[in-house]
Amino acid sequence: MKHSVNRPPTPDGAEDQGKEPTLQEIINIKLIESGEKERLMELLRERLIECGWKDEMKALCRAYIKKKGRNNVTMDDLVHLITPKGRASIPDSIKTELLQRISSFLTSAAL
Amino acid sequence: MSSEINGQVSPQPCPHLLDFRSRNGFKPFRAFQDLIRVKRPGGLPAIRREISEVPRCCTCEESSRSRLYACVACAAVFCYAPPLHSHASAHALSNPGHEIAIDVDRAELFCCTCRDQVYDRDFDAAVVFAQTVTITATTSTSGCTVMQCNIAGFQPENLRKRRRVDNRPCSPDSREHVIIGNHLFSLHDATNASLISSTEIPWGLRGLNNLGNTCFMNSVLQALLHTPPLRSYFLRDRHHRYYCQQKNGAINGTKSSRLCLACDMEAMFSAVFSGDRTPYSPAKFLYSWWQHSANLASYEQQDAHEFFISMLDGIHEKVAKEKRKSQSPGSGDCCSAHRVFSGILRSDVMCIVCGFTSTTYDPCVDISLDLEPNQGVSGKSSSAKSHNSCNVEADCMGSNQNSGISTLKGCLERFTRAEKLGSDQKFFCQKCEVRQESLKQMSIRKLPLVSCFHIKRFEHSSIQKMSRKVDRYLQFPFSLDMAPYLSSSILRSRFGNRILPFDGDEQDASNELSSEFELFAIVTHTGRLDAGHYVTYLRLSNQWYKCDDAWITRVNESIVLAAQGYMMFYVQKVLSYKASEKQAAS
Repeated sequence: MKHSVNRPPTPDGAEDQGKEPTLQEIINIKLIESGEKERLMELLRERLIECGWKDEMKALCRAYIKKKGRNNVTMDDLVHLITPKGRASIPDSIKTELLQRISSFLTSAAL
Repeated sequence: MSSEINGQVSPQPCPHLLDFRSRNGFKPFRAFQDLIRVKRPGGLPAIRREISEVPRCCTCEESSRSRLYACVACAAVFCYAPPLHSHASAHALSNPGHEIAIDVDRAELFCCTCRDQVYDRDFDAAVVFAQTVTITATTSTSGCTVMQCNIAGFQPENLRKRRRVDNRPCSPDSREHVIIGNHLFSLHDATNASLISSTEIPWGLRGLNNLGNTCFMNSVLQALLHTPPLRSYFLRDRHHRYYCQQKNGAINGTKSSRLCLACDMEAMFSAVFSGDRTPYSPAKFLYSWWQHSANLASYEQQDAHEFFISMLDGIHEKVAKEKRKSQSPGSGDCCSAHRVFSGILRSDVMCIVCGFTSTTYDPCVDISLDLEPNQGVSGKSSSAKSHNSCNVEADCMGSNQNSGISTLKGCLERFTRAEKLGSDQKFFCQKCEVRQESLKQMSIRKLPLVSCFHIKRFEHSSIQKMSRKVDRYLQFPFSLDMAPYLSSSILRSRFGNRILPFDGDEQDASNELSSEFELFAIVTHTGRLDAGHYVTYLRLSNQWYKCDDAWITRVNESIVLAAQGYMMFYVQKVLSYKASEKQAAS
């Protein structure tokens, strides 16, 4: 049982074996396998830092922690705090750029 | 929930982590060590069985969730996106002992029951080790040979030989004790006087006459006259004009050079701290400086920062000649000016294709910061939506209201940010043997005793043959912690959010110079580029004084906070003089 920690539990026999992967699934896999997802993440990180979005989220978290006290805040709290605001405050230019990249990837991957 | 070791806050493990460790020890973490992959050069570590594995939740088969966690006990991967899809929580709930999991994209520990990130020294050490192995294979150091870059610069700063400031404690004998006692007076703590009478003005505060557009010089001189380590140095006669060899022509046997900026500085210190309150005319100093910087000798207004640099250079040039030993750059052993102001900057340039990093160290006497507008995100076209959601928790956004204002911290953060160099600035990568696009990051390897921040307000464009001044307001703090801008912190952030192996092993004594700084002087500029005026604000005994050439007035700190900062002087907190310090014989 030396490598038991590394082995996932045996799949449940009752699982639906014939489940078709969704389009979202297929795209995700293609993105990862080609390495494009990593490149897109990198681009997104860069853009969000450049425009100050990351700093703004950081400031939000800091203000929240200051208000609640350092020992009364969990990571989940912070994620719930900034997720809606973060999503809403992404500049349109960044959204456009990424969508463009994804769409050209999809075209080139003949999907 | 957290404890402090030598000022480093170290989070305590949650009960579930403690329980897990006590039952399983370190073995499960070691098993995951082999699965740590760094997906791109300079990237964060991830947990993957093969490099291109697509992790998916074993309950719902979804792979596109934003957070996926691998259970440390059974290595099953689950999604975590409460409240809808949180199979990781369900797993933890139904399997006691399986509460701890690893974020597969960040290799950070998480407790699904406490819903919070947890930290484990051994785990973080394992991840750092695995990540470091990939870094050391591609890192080199060039430039200054005195500094060696070990394991991506991860040797704790304190284990290297540190240059210490040579300040020996004063130990007077009995005869000197008597003399001290007879001449004792207390530095007056001017906190409650509404009028400044001559007895209540702090010691050493004296106006400087304008000798013809010399406010650029007066403002910098006022700041230097009250720079604590420099003040100590000159008032303790560490350099005295009567004994100065350079001036007396003992060097090189030449009598021609009777010029020594340090001597003139010392003369000025004596005059300013003599107790005489009438404004002083630094004519001799101006003349000496003209001789040193002939290109700047005129009655025109000069740039205060340029003056500052040339003055430090002048002191260095004259004084360093006395000592014929070779000094390592940045150690500050060469002269008084560098001992006080000299720090070391570290520059890392990383090839984005292969990850090869080239590190160089350069000494610096100040840090010049760009003043770019804070591109507040809420100013963009999607602001309509963001304002609605932001107003819900308006009270949490206290600091966010200033998203349009530039701050000194913001400038420093931008200074130490990893920046992608443009495609026209490709860097020659030794490993790829071709010019590649690269990522550059600056950080502070060694802090000086006094940090001078110069804000680049004057832009000169030789192409457009035009110069302009940036009037933008910059917010600055009275107390500044430089820790986040140090090389150790910047390097740390490349490993993700975790405790690092040597935290807590650093000895107190070798960390004698902390990273906390106090503002003591600020040189401000008002007016246009071609017709402007410099004024210095000094902080003495926690009171602010405005030094406008010959006129010294006490001002409220709100005036100072509203001023347009051009050069800010911060001193290490341990060296700053406190409000009610009184000198007394022991």
